[in-house]
Amino acid sequence: MPSIRLSEVTKKYGSTRAADGLNLEVQDKEYLCILGPTGAGKTTALRMVCGLTLPSSGRIFFDEQDVTGMEVERREAVMLSQVYSLFPHMDVQQNVLFGPSIKEWSEKDCNRLARSMLEMVHLSNRAQALPHELSGGMQQRTALARALASGSKVLLLDEPLRALDARLRIELRKELRSLAKSLELTCIHVTHDQDEALVMADRIAVLRRGKVMQVGTPKEVFENPNSPFVANFVGQSNFFTGKVVSKGEWTIVEDQRGVRVPARPCDMEIGEEVVMAVKVGNTRIKSDEGFLKGTVERMLYEGSNVHVDLVLCDYLRFSVKMPNRKIGEFEVGSPAYVSWNPREALVFPIPPEGLEEELKVD
Amino acid sequence: MPKVSLENISMRFGDITAVSNIDLVIKDGEYVTILGPSGCGKTTLIKMISGILVPSEGRVLIDGKDVTGLPIEDRDNGYVFQNIALFPHLNLEKNVAYGQRVRDRPKDKQKEVSHRYLELVNMLDRMQMLPGELSGGEQQKVAIARALASGSRLLLLDEPLSALDARVRVDLRYDIRRLVKDLGITVIHVTHDQEEAMSVSDRIVLMRNGSIVESDAPMNLYRSPNNIFTAYFIGETNLLLGAVSRRDEKNVYVMLRDGSEVRVKETPFKRHDAVVLSVRPEYVYTANEGLKAEVEEIIFMGTYWRIRTTAESEDKVEYNVPIDNDLPCIGDVVYLVFNRKMTMAYERPRQGLEEAIKLE
Repeated sequence: MPSIRLSEVTKKYGSTRAADGLNLEVQDKEYLCILGPTGAGKTTALRMVCGLTLPSSGRIFFDEQDVTGMEVERREAVMLSQVYSLFPHMDVQQNVLFGPSIKEWSEKDCNRLARSMLEMVHLSNRAQALPHELSGGMQQRTALARALASGSKVLLLDEPLRALDARLRIELRKELRSLAKSLELTCIHVTHDQDEALVMADRIAVLRRGKVMQVGTPKEVFENPNSPFVANFVGQSNFFTGKVVSKGEWTIVEDQRGVRVPARPCDMEIGEEVVMAVKVGNTRIKSDEGFLKGTVERMLYEGSNVHVDLVLCDYLRFSVKMPNRKIGEFEVGSPAYVSWNPREALVFPIPPEGLEEELKVD
Repeated sequence: MPKVSLENISMRFGDITAVSNIDLVIKDGEYVTILGPSGCGKTTLIKMISGILVPSEGRVLIDGKDVTGLPIEDRDNGYVFQNIALFPHLNLEKNVAYGQRVRDRPKDKQKEVSHRYLELVNMLDRMQMLPGELSGGEQQKVAIARALASGSRLLLLDEPLSALDARVRVDLRYDIRRLVKDLGITVIHVTHDQEEAMSVSDRIVLMRNGSIVESDAPMNLYRSPNNIFTAYFIGETNLLLGAVSRRDEKNVYVMLRDGSEVRVKETPFKRHDAVVLSVRPEYVYTANEGLKAEVEEIIFMGTYWRIRTTAESEDKVEYNVPIDNDLPCIGDVVYLVFNRKMTMAYERPRQGLEEAIKLE
């Protein structure tokens, strides 16, 4: 069964390393999302799995068989990219059957295959349409049907929803995942969109600068990030820099001005310089009590939530997602307190290149 | 001061009508977003406002002056495109000074203006760099600075964030809003992203098939949309089919397909009227009795769980559970109740529900 393993895979372009010692395992029938900012090396990683790019060093295994040097055609992996590359002069059915027809399948088999593929992607009534007559979502589904018609059990998706409207993307996330699950495919899905990864993935691999930063279920990566970068990239975080002043039930961090905040117990020593991170979505706002006091600086309506930016203790910037039913309770300039469950606040060593550099997403 | 009025404008390309009979007034200093799915005519509309396209019919007025046939170069608009269009061989300082330069302003004035706007987008310390040395988000900030540095009081943004990463997009939209509000300029911003539209604008104009569906402040469109397409497009919602079964002095009751009854917000519908209910996932709760539903999927959403169910009424209903609460198991039966004030009823669309909410 198709499991995939990358072992110490590196790809150099001149002096840049698009992949820098990647180690990653994808299990049979797993839906794995590779999540990272632009330039992280996500597409390079996917192309190496597919066989479109050869690694400079390291090895790639399918079912523990070394496929590092194997041609694309023999790998049984099929890639769907963000530009759908449909043949413009072929109709939907011809596009879908392109693979099987060059393999010289009988017409009867081809037709049966086309029918089942198009049914699956809800395009049965558009089989005779040309690509330019279809909407973006339908073109995307045609490309998906074509990829699946190859019979491959490994599906590689490179930002498959990027070219689509935001609202449509939300609907297609559900569709794409349930299709992959019902066909029992092993999927690697590359995306820069953390919401997409959270909703779709069995596991997420966070990639940055050619390295895997963390791999885990959406819940693990969101709740137990292993670095300030992951804490901020998978769901935005608020940060507080200071020294550990006490350990016990909670870790207490104090900054130069003597402001103190509580966080989850940690391995850091008393006196050590640390950065505390708490998710914006886990930070609460109240009018009467909390850990830190400040003023509402900005409020941005987001639908189910209101994004609130605050200045705390005259110098700290924090953000909060407030449920929209509380909207009447605060306005710009209102005094407010923030707090959080200390269990949801994590403490990290100060990153070697500084916090700002660590958090860069661009 | 820039007030923009569109008077009954239409745009036809051959047999296709991209925009039909739109009337719209944008106030001075207002931040308006034109939102809609692909092909709704939003880009055509902003191109007519900017002068890139001349409408087939109707007039465009800026500050009461008819500019309908006036070409873009003779207008005083700032325009930012989706594909960041900086001059690759000019450094940031010169890119931003460009508008001043083509107007033959003195050299020191060009510099001063360029520096002022680069400062506003926090890029002043990198003014000697070339665009190619910046990330996408940084380049788009410079493009916005350039558009503003022309001195225009009207800024047109055509999908300015669509080419950027999700995370960068979120950060930048807050920056844009802060900047234009500080400067007090009028903004027309085209986007397909409902979340972006909600968080940046004073008012959203929702378009579909070349016409305006609805136009209001983001919160009003989210909480009490007049149209079922609006309810579906702006934020996620559950849609349930039913018919008004009875009404008394205080309440209106809608019967779903399994015979269960739901109380809804006051509506003008009469008994037996076929309706569609819309209720957002955050206003659906579980209780000891209510609409019977079976749990099908449980999805981690970061700060909450999303539960997907199919109800006995055959409707798909989703609701949220706080992260530290107990979760149901897949296959469990739950009983759902809705926040009455947030349960809206709409006339059952003649063309069918699916057609009425189609995204493409």
